Amino acid sequence: MMGMIEISDISKSLGNFELECINLRIEKGEYFCILGPTGSGKTILLETIAGINEPDIGSILIDNYDVSSLLPKDRNISMVYQDFMLFPNMDIRANIGFGLRFNGSKLARSELNEKVEETARMLGIDHLLDRHPSTLSGGEKQRSAIARAIITEPDLLLLDEPLSALDAGTKDRLRQELRRIHQLKGTTTIHVTHSFEEAFNLADRIAIMNEGKIHQVGTPDEVFRKPNSTFVADFVGVENLFHGKAVMKDDLSEIKVNGLIITSTSPGDGDVVVSIRPEDILISKVPIDSSARNSFSGVVSEVIRMKSTIKLLIDTGLLFRVVLTKRAYDDMELSQGSKVHLTFKASATHII
Amino acid sequence: MQRIGFKQANILLMLLLTIFIFSLIIEIVTHTDVVSLMSNIVSGEIQFAVRLSLITSVISTLLCMMIAIPSSYALARYNIRGKALINTILDLPMALPPIVAGLGLLLIFGTTATGSYLEEMGLKFVFTPLGIIVAQFTVNISLMLRIMRSTFEGIDPRYEYVAQTLGCTPFQAFMRTTLPLSKNGILAGSVITWSRGMGEFGAVLMLAGATRMRTETLPISLYLNISSGRLDLAIAAATILIIISSVALYLFERKGGVAKLY
Repeated sequence: MMGMIEISDISKSLGNFELECINLRIEKGEYFCILGPTGSGKTILLETIAGINEPDIGSILIDNYDVSSLLPKDRNISMVYQDFMLFPNMDIRANIGFGLRFNGSKLARSELNEKVEETARMLGIDHLLDRHPSTLSGGEKQRSAIARAIITEPDLLLLDEPLSALDAGTKDRLRQELRRIHQLKGTTTIHVTHSFEEAFNLADRIAIMNEGKIHQVGTPDEVFRKPNSTFVADFVGVENLFHGKAVMKDDLSEIKVNGLIITSTSPGDGDVVVSIRPEDILISKVPIDSSARNSFSGVVSEVIRMKSTIKLLIDTGLLFRVVLTKRAYDDMELSQGSKVHLTFKASATHII
Repeated sequence: MQRIGFKQANILLMLLLTIFIFSLIIEIVTHTDVVSLMSNIVSGEIQFAVRLSLITSVISTLLCMMIAIPSSYALARYNIRGKALINTILDLPMALPPIVAGLGLLLIFGTTATGSYLEEMGLKFVFTPLGIIVAQFTVNISLMLRIMRSTFEGIDPRYEYVAQTLGCTPFQAFMRTTLPLSKNGILAGSVITWSRGMGEFGAVLMLAGATRMRTETLPISLYLNISSGRLDLAIAAATILIIISSVALYLFERKGGVAKLY
């Protein structure tokens, strides 16, 4: 197993985009997400790692070997784009087999075909091999692009917003597929996205990027719980996200998170991520008798004043983020250390 | 009522123009009867002109292609300082009267040290069939560049990036993705360049001259025969040029794809 990546002091300016002194170290077999808004320089960073752009300064090491001056073909990496980039002049079989035909592996035709079919089967697209890219759905196209990328067994897999062009259902299925492939192959993966949910779900570690700079690197929980700047906080701090274990009970699922049990109407089983929007959480000084299934007591641990609202961090054993208006905050006479009760519906609890 | 008048006036003018252009063509091809037209077409002089035009225009088209593909790729893909100025210079031969371009060629090859050096090497362009090829190339290269540039600009460079990560050198990636994807542009560019090469007159006249049975392409033949009163031969040459232009226009419209002429 290969694929430890060290990016040192990479700077690059390209048109209106700029990378400023990027330093990252990605471990062998790690699933690493680079998270940032559109235009933050994520794609340039990925293309620089791939060798399509040459960095102005800095170096890229793969397994302690400096690849900075190598052509992309000599780096043993693969790339998957948001909009698939399947070669329109070839069928799916030729697309998936492209890397094996041209990377110097010199396989016999039968061997090549066998590998293409095996990889296609793994992604559930073996019935599409003789079709042309233009006749496929978005999900099928992205599966083909992933097959084309992993068939060469790269040391490093680069994914540029691989799920962003897909509809919600397909996105969920393909996200699980990416996780499964990663568990199966153990390939070091860098996945660029603007969706925190996606990163939270898949990543071993996350780097937050904006305006060509890396703002924070850490596990999803670290980045989410302890953002190191207002940019990171604003970018990731919109939701309550928790890892937990779900079991189905009747029509509802119960998710055990840090000893707390959260009830949800979304179906779930095993390791899941739950999200509750801050504005869906009701806050009160005494327990409310209501139809809502989730009710916890806690202490206000931090008060953050925003433009027109107040954000409270409430420690119930889990740290919840709750948003309320200034008026409501004043009326309730809350402050740091106040004891409060949280209430939210099972239908406001989403399993992602 | 007034609106109908406006609409009808527009349509009437458009129809008159169509009739005018159509009658030009009909006038030429019906000026002589079919039998004498055919016998003039197969005459030695016209056959020579057809052959010379075909050979020179095919070679100049291939030359245009070989130069235009890499050059237009550079213009479409790379950030080059002064690209706007370069584009203007490269577009110039298209806007210039061909006879002016021909004068430039005559001066370069006829009066400069470069010209005499090339002549010593055996490459004589002034008043030779070789000059015809150079004249056609010079006048048509801008158009080929424009067509190929807009073709390459319409093809996402990331196809090549993916191919490069999958084991191709930049050149191989181009050959296996962008080049096959631009086949419509290449076809359209070749057809239009070839047909314009067949019909090129001004620049050819300046550089290669108009020598009967030596530098006599179809347009030169038309000119020589009109000058010496051989209207029947002139019409034979013109008829062949009309057929070639019509076929080329049809093919270009069919295959033009993303490429636009102007």
